[in-house]
Parts: sequence; C-alpha cells; structure tokens
Amino acid sequence: MSGEVKGLRPIKIEDLLQRTVYDVDEEPHIEIIDERGVPKELVKLCPCSCYSMVGERLLYSYEGCLECGLCRVLSEPWGLRWEYPKSGRGVQYRFT
Amino acid sequence: MSNSNVPSKFDVVVVGAGPAGSSAAYLLAKAGFKVLIVERGRGAGTKELYGGKIYAPPLREVWPNLDKEAPIHRWVTTERLSFVWKGRVTTLDFKLGRRVAFTTYLTEMAKWMADKAVEAGAVLVDEVRVDEIITEGGKVIGIRSGPDKLYADIVVDAEGVNRILLEKLGLAEKINPDTVALGVKEVINVGKKAIEERLLLTENEGMAWLLMGDITQGIPGGGFIYTMKDTIALGLVLHIGKAYEAAKSGALKDTVPMMLEKLRVHPYFSRIWRDADVLEYGAHMTIEGGLRYMPKKLYMNGLVVVGDAAGLLLNTGYTIRGVDFAVYSGKLAAEAIIKAFENGGPTEENLSLYEHMLKQSFVYKELVKHSGIVKMMEDPTFFTKLPAIVNGMMGKLFEADYEEPTVLEALLESFREEEMSLTRFLLKMFSVVSRL
Ligand SMILES: Cc1cc2nc3c(=O)[nH]c(=O)nc-3n(C[C@H](O)[C@H](O)[C@H](O)COP(=O)(O)OP(=O)(O)OC[C@H]3O[C@@H](n4cnc5c(N)ncnc54)[C@H](O)[C@@H]3O)c2cc1C
Ligand code: SF4
Repeated sequence: MSGEVKGLRPIKIEDLLQRTVYDVDEEPHIEIIDERGVPKELVKLCPCSCYSMVGERLLYSYEGCLECGLCRVLSEPWGLRWEYPKSGRGVQYRFT
Repeated sequence: MSNSNVPSKFDVVVVGAGPAGSSAAYLLAKAGFKVLIVERGRGAGTKELYGGKIYAPPLREVWPNLDKEAPIHRWVTTERLSFVWKGRVTTLDFKLGRRVAFTTYLTEMAKWMADKAVEAGAVLVDEVRVDEIITEGGKVIGIRSGPDKLYADIVVDAEGVNRILLEKLGLAEKINPDTVALGVKEVINVGKKAIEERLLLTENEGMAWLLMGDITQGIPGGGFIYTMKDTIALGLVLHIGKAYEAAKSGALKDTVPMMLEKLRVHPYFSRIWRDADVLEYGAHMTIEGGLRYMPKKLYMNGLVVVGDAAGLLLNTGYTIRGVDFAVYSGKLAAEAIIKAFENGGPTEENLSLYEHMLKQSFVYKELVKHSGIVKMMEDPTFFTKLPAIVNGMMGKLFEADYEEPTVLEALLESFREEEMSLTRFLLKMFSVVSRL
C-alpha cells in the first residue's frame, strides 16, 4: 500500500519500556536455575526481551519484566525460579 | 500482613483484587461477612492489562448503578473486523443498534470495583503477595505470605490466569502452552478530538476493532484496537503453543514487541495515531479455550475458585469476554458461600452448590456452546488463508487495469494463488462452522 506515514518507525524495545512505570526490586523475582529447562525461543517471545543469547548462553535480566507469566509456562519447573515481585514492586500499570 | 489494624481472623479471605475477587468481596461484605481482600499490587488494578471492552449486563446485576458510577470511557457503537494481508485491508464495519458494551482501562475499572467492596465493608490489604493457600486435613484454613499466616473459614481464589497458588495446592496442573495466549498492548495518546474525527465517532461513542491476518506472522491470534476517552489501545494476542513452534522452526521473523511495533507503523492503521506518542506498553497472558483451562474442581472444603483462575473466559477470536464472566462467577460464588453458611458452613458438600450454579448459568453454557471455535482458532487455514483469499479476491476485483474478472473468477483465482481448492476450503469451513 502506498502513502506510508512519514517519520513513523518501530520503537526499539529498550525505548518502548521507558514508557512503562516500574518500581524495580533490589532482588530478582525470576532467576534461571538450569538453562537446559528454559527454551531459548524466549529471546523472541518474551514481550520485554528480558532474555538474550550471549554466545551459547541464555541470559536473563528481570528489570523490564512485565509479569506476564509466559516464560513460566514455557519452562520446566526446575529451569526457573519464578515468583511475582513482593511488596507491590515491579511493573505499575496505569492505562491498561 | 504486619499491619496491626488488620484482625487475624476473617470469615472470608479473597486472593486477588481483580474483577472476580472484588465482585465476590463486595457481595459478601454487603451480606455482613468479615471479608479481607489480599492483593499483590500497589492498590487494585496496577497489575491489570486487557484489551478494552466490557459487557455491561452481567456487571449491572452486581452494581445496579454501574452506568452512572463506573469509569466508563465510551459505549461501543461500532464494531469492525479487518482482514489484513500484504498491505491490503478488507474491513467489515457494523454500527450497533443498542449499547451493550463499554470501553475502559481495566486498571481503572478494577480499582473502582475494589473501592466498591471496601465501601461495603471489606478490608483491602495491598502490596501483599500470597505465597500459599494453607490446608489442614484436606481443608483449606487460610493463606500464607512469607512467614505470616492468616486464617479464614473460606478462601476465594481469584488470582487470575497465572494460577500459581492453585498449582501448588494441586487443584490445577501445570499450564499447557496450547491453552493460553500472550497479549501485548500499547496505549497511544491520540487525543479525544482526533479519535472522534478520524474514526467518525461522536462524544461517548466507542469502537472495537479486531484485526486478522499476516500481522501475527502466521501465528493464530489477532490484533485489536479499542478507543478509550482520549487514548487508543492497540494490541496483539498470540497463541503461545503455536508461537513457540514458530519461533523454534525459525518461521517467526520478529520478536513479539517488534511485531506489535510493525502493526503500529502499518501504512494503513498508523494514520489514525500518526502524530501520537506511546504512553504505555505492557503484556498479560489470557486463556485460549475456557473449558480446557478449567480445573477438575472449582471448590473444595474451605475454598472456591473464580474468574480466570477457574478458566471462565470466552475467547471467540472476535471477542474476549473475561471481565464480565469473572464478575458473574464472583457473584455466584458469593451467593453459594452465603447459602453454605446458612446450611452449617463452607464444607465441600455445601460449596458444591457453586459449581452447580455455575453450570446452570450463562457463563458455563456460553463456554460449552462456543467450544468449537477454539479448534478453529488453532487452524492455520482460518488464520492465514482466509485473510489472504479475501484480500486476494478484492484485489482482483478492484485493482484490474482493463479487464475486470467476474466475482467467481476473482474468487477462484485467489484460491489458486493460495494453493487451496475451493471445495477443500469449504469442507474445512463447514466442519468448523458446524462445531460453532
Ligand atoms: C490481551 C488481553 C485482552 C483481553 N481483552 C478483554 C476484553 O476486551 N474484554 C474482557 O472482558 N476481557 C478481556 N480479557 C480478559 C480479562 O482481562 C480477564 O478475564 C479478567 O481480568 C479476569 O479477572 P480475574 O479477576 O479473574 O483475574 P485478574 O483480573 O487477573 O485479577 C487477578 C488479581 O489477583 C492478583 N494476584 C495474583 N496472584 C496473587 C497473589 N499470589 N497474591 C496476591 N494477589 C495476587 C493480581 O495482581 C490481580 O490483581 C483480556 C485479557 C488479555 C490478557
Ligand atoms: S514473565 Fe513475561 S515479561 Fe517477565 S520475563 Fe517472563 S516472559 Fe518476559
């Protein structure tokens, strides 16, 4: 289709996450315990791109987590320690 | 729960201040029960994310003044369904004859519902994550958060789709990826005037717009657009089991957030919000097929399960009804609990009334009636071929330079292009439709 709207470009996930309010806990609420029980497809599927491949290793950082539960569903119970953040911490939705 | 103002024994503890928990708490508090709602978020609503449209009639049974008091953004007066394929878009546009559903933020609506429960006398304790539902001799006796325990005659589990507590309790199994979907959503700050001008709405009129096609890159699911008062909700819903397969096989090109961003900058749709900023981004899980998600039992001695945790959500592909089903199940649970106490207490036998009432209600009947659509939603024929064929045909009809094909020629040609035979397609559709 012609007539693309000028100047509109996809926002990178790092920038997109700036729009969302967090109160990040000092301690992670999710941790990889055993990589073999966590699918690397999460690099594509996690909605905040919390998962990344560095070489052969699957790394995880919890700060941008949107608490959707997807990685818990796709991982083995022994692969992840998955909890909701405590004391009201984590993502703070406002207009959703 | 270190809060010293909070007594340590309640009649009812409700886990989760979502639509299901707050409606149950409201009705029980109104009936004179001592009710505690425990919510992990900072206030009710801060962990909520959904599409955008709520059916009013079931909510009015709980809050008769809903239309006057609730934070309603717009009444849905237009429903649209678009087939999107390779830059072509074919849209059905329906103007409703009456008002049945409204748009709002669930963050706002959940807060309103929890406020109602508190006004009726329930106590809301937020910023407390429940870690376990505790039992003694096969009977639920309360909850635990960290080292703190709190006892109640009955616990209402309203924890939502990600039902960690029910799994720990052994009432639900580990979630099967084929029974859930991932929703991602952006809230775009379009402004009231621009929304109304660009979508041909007047004040208070709203639009619900579902999209189907290559925007989900072959994964069963779709897109949604809902008009709020001055913002637009834009999102994607993706079947998790199939998304995982697509990522694994390499068929999935983009990350999930990039898929949504590509929809936001889509040449056609983006003109609606061309000059507006993204206010917020988020994600939440939802249920694909309610019946398949339902735990074997929705009650036990001292416990009932309501809302998403109980699998009470209808996802037909063109509509998600979760909030009204959750509220209605909260209402039925409250009624059953009141009856159970009249008959001697919340024993397993007395609480079986809840499941009985639920099965007699529209909620369960709707889930059974629409169970066929769940199969259809997993069928790639439906998700990829239908939008391709519809747009292929429209293209042939309206993009011809000199010789226009007849409608039948256009239809057959677009089937041929998609390597589908018309008879096979019709048979497939028939087998699906007969199950609807
Ligand atoms: C992308 C998407 C689009 C949707 N679109 C629509 C729509 O347009 N219309 C519609 O009607 N429905 C829609 N739904 C479904 C709807 O959001 C749900 O069905 C509804 O919110 C379920 O209500 P609930 O009270 O059962 O659970 P929830 O709303 O999930 O509430 C659960 C509450 O429990 C709290 N909680 C969870 N665990 C704990 C714990 N351990 N301790 C303390 N608190 C806890 C949570 O913080 C939350 O507040 C959509 C859902 C999604 C994801
Ligand atoms: S819960 Fe969701 S957002 Fe958080 S890390 Fe897992 S997949 Fe990503």
